[in-house]
Amino acid sequence: MRLRDENKRFAIREKALEMIVKDGFDGLSMHKLAKAAGVSPATIYIYFKDREDLILQLYFEESIRMSDATLKNFDPEMHFEEGLRVQWLNRAAYCLQHPQRMYFMEQMRHSPLHDKFREFGTPFVVAMKTFVSNAIRRKELVPLPVEVYWSIAFAPLYQLVKFHMGGKGMPGTGNFELSEPLIDQTLELVLKALKP
Amino acid sequence: MMTQPSEIRPDILVFKTGLRHPGEVSRVAVLLESLDGILKWNVDLDDCDRVLRIEAVGLSCYDIIRLVSQAGFLCEELED
Repeated sequence: MRLRDENKRFAIREKALEMIVKDGFDGLSMHKLAKAAGVSPATIYIYFKDREDLILQLYFEESIRMSDATLKNFDPEMHFEEGLRVQWLNRAAYCLQHPQRMYFMEQMRHSPLHDKFREFGTPFVVAMKTFVSNAIRRKELVPLPVEVYWSIAFAPLYQLVKFHMGGKGMPGTGNFELSEPLIDQTLELVLKALKP
Repeated sequence: MMTQPSEIRPDILVFKTGLRHPGEVSRVAVLLESLDGILKWNVDLDDCDRVLRIEAVGLSCYDIIRLVSQAGFLCEELED
């Protein structure tokens, strides 16, 4: 009889995340993972049915982790300006503290496996939808196709985060470090663009 | 299927097999599904050990090995 050990499971999944970020999905096999995590392949199969099951469980857990961090101190009833600021600070903090987790999520979103994962109706998606529809109803936000909304509301932040994580800004401009004043400066412009 | 009280976890049995493709898996599937006590099972054909993973109650590794071997496929416990 094999017993579950949550610490062991956590060590395996953390190693898997690290390997996926480093070598992509194809770089991950149950045997390679076992070797890297210092356990036997049999042990990995106690926790995960196969490679795909492992990746989907990982994605599910990482989604929850990210959503919890992003929704901290956030209320979908907030005024749009206040709520978006909380979102920006939470998202920036999460990316800077957990670059690997962020890269993993990014990889997942562009993977065919993503289609097997249902994120409609998750607390995060519900909170974001409610937030946006409240803001439109209160005339704090212009109604836009969701892709246009996202591209204006969040893409600028993620681009700054990318510059920061790369350690450099535009070519030829030297070092770049993201700071709260820079976040606020950018956010102000974003809010101006989104105001009705 | 009998409902198990939540504190009883099924045993997880893990084997290395000689199964090579889905056709062979379906031959074993018929046998496995005739066995009482198997809650879930799958074969990972992507893995070099073609791992058969079973969640079961009240079955031993020996029961599974005998069944799969009788169908003509290698089946041995994947050791820790």
